Amino acid sequence: MNALRLGSYTFSSRLILGTGKFSSVSAMIEAVRASGSQLVTVALRRFNREQAEDDLFGPLSEIEGLTLMPNTSGAATAKEAVKAAHISRELSGSPFIKVEIHPNPHHLMPDPIETYEACKILAAEEFIVMPYIPADPVLAKRLEEVGCSSVMPLGSAIGSGQGLSTSAMVQLIIRESSIPVIVDAGLRSPSEACAAMEMGCEAVLVNSAIAVARDPAAMAGAFARAVEAGYDARNAGLMQRSGSAVATSPLTSFLGAGS
Amino acid sequence: MNALPAWLTDSRLSEDIEPLLRQTDDESLERLAAEAQAVTLRRFGRIISLYAPLYLSNFCSSGCVYCGFASDRTSPRRKLEFDEIERELRAMKKIGIGDVLLLTGERTNAAGFDYLRRSVELTARIMPRVAIEAFPMSVAEYRALAECGCTGLTIYQETYDPENYAKLHRWGPKQDFLERLETPERAITGGIRSVGIGALLGLSEPIGEALAVARHARHLCRTYWKAGVSVSFPRIRPQEGSFQPAYVVNDRFLARMIMAFRTAMPDIDLVLSTRESSNFRDGMAGLGITRMSIASRTTVGGYVEAETAGASQFEVSDDRSAEEFCAALRAKNLEPVFKNWDAAYNNPLPEKERA
Repeated sequence: MNALRLGSYTFSSRLILGTGKFSSVSAMIEAVRASGSQLVTVALRRFNREQAEDDLFGPLSEIEGLTLMPNTSGAATAKEAVKAAHISRELSGSPFIKVEIHPNPHHLMPDPIETYEACKILAAEEFIVMPYIPADPVLAKRLEEVGCSSVMPLGSAIGSGQGLSTSAMVQLIIRESSIPVIVDAGLRSPSEACAAMEMGCEAVLVNSAIAVARDPAAMAGAFARAVEAGYDARNAGLMQRSGSAVATSPLTSFLGAGS
Repeated sequence: MNALPAWLTDSRLSEDIEPLLRQTDDESLERLAAEAQAVTLRRFGRIISLYAPLYLSNFCSSGCVYCGFASDRTSPRRKLEFDEIERELRAMKKIGIGDVLLLTGERTNAAGFDYLRRSVELTARIMPRVAIEAFPMSVAEYRALAECGCTGLTIYQETYDPENYAKLHRWGPKQDFLERLETPERAITGGIRSVGIGALLGLSEPIGEALAVARHARHLCRTYWKAGVSVSFPRIRPQEGSFQPAYVVNDRFLARMIMAFRTAMPDIDLVLSTRESSNFRDGMAGLGITRMSIASRTTVGGYVEAETAGASQFEVSDDRSAEEFCAALRAKNLEPVFKNWDAAYNNPLPEKERA
């Protein structure tokens, strides 16, 4: 597998994990290990330096070969996200920031306007900026122009398990994008992650589907294999779709064959 | 009284919940439980957010017949001084608490707005998240509290039946039904990020109360789309004054109510306090409930001096320690989460926007 490039960093794994919603810190760590992920996101609001049992950041930072991408989940405005990014960088030392701005705390849909404003500031401050966005091809280009290292359009609503319901828009984003496109949110099954990779995504981010599985570590492994299969399939060259039958032997080969 | 707001009587806002509440058979209850569990797991995963109440003061100016803090109760009155508040918070922090709900009675000279504001300010320096359950305030007062780091408000309407409300609130500022009803909106307007509402179950006919709470929650979600809205389900508990509730809300109905709210409103936090038994709390965790209080002391000064503190607002039913309660959650494959917020998001208004 070729490397996934984000800023000056490279990763051989194309599965990024979210770390909320697990039944315990140890279940989360097992899943991270089983996934082979090299990049995981963790919410600043779940950093708890005062109580190890409740803290996600500490245990994750001890896993060798893992890069942490703090996220700004909880921010409702650009200003809050920027503040959270500064604190996250100070605490974690990571140059990565996943910009999540959802002013509606119920459906958690990203705010495109505030996200754009925050990304512009953070990219200028040399963060490796990875925004979680609605599947909007115009917004994706605007974010690329301000210096984001990737765009992360949602497959469907966070925690909904509705899969790639934004597939047509994600395809437009991929077609136009010069930076990695990473589907984030809504994926339910490894087959959907595989489909996202076949479609041309450079990586996928999965949380709920792994965290709430009966066996999170086993599900993480399944997602890892599916992501790899999807990426390999795309590189191998998927056959074109056709509305009618296409013969396996050309029907017109006799033409020009001489009389 | 002025006219009731249109949303309170708009049955369209609760039409999906009503049939679920009116069913009484075991089969429908079990079906509802399965759906509530699936929705909770999908949306919130396996985590239960924890908080703890801190009773600042039991001074009160109102005469609610059902409350141990009502101004005609004979038990001694007390409020925590600021050094005591700090000691209580440190004691709470020792057991891991990172999310505190500060409580007072209705507004009095002894424990008024300035006392509450300074208490919030002090708490926000120690805890990542501070919410209040106190007397209704003005928009400007809520704005001042938000600037000090207060992010949440809990205020129960007690009963949504205006006639019954008038009978139960014998005197004091709490007699104003509409003033209380509109309190969450004033708080949101003032910059408080999330509001918790509910009815004190047992005071009025339970299905009507549940439908009114649902309408209130939906009205708030639609009108104030950036605000967090949560719903609590307090049942009336024994308290000084020996008030006997007119309606009995049994465990089966309460469970049905919680699960109906979860399926109809999949994204909002549903809260269960230590008023309920350990058996009921353990059963409902993850079955709709996503936020719970822990190791609660309902007396003023209850964390440092659990034995000597005065009268409580009501009797706690689940008196397990934080450790015991967390062990029970973990046994159910749920993760107790003590910190699910960061003070980075307490976003005081810029100087020029301050009133």
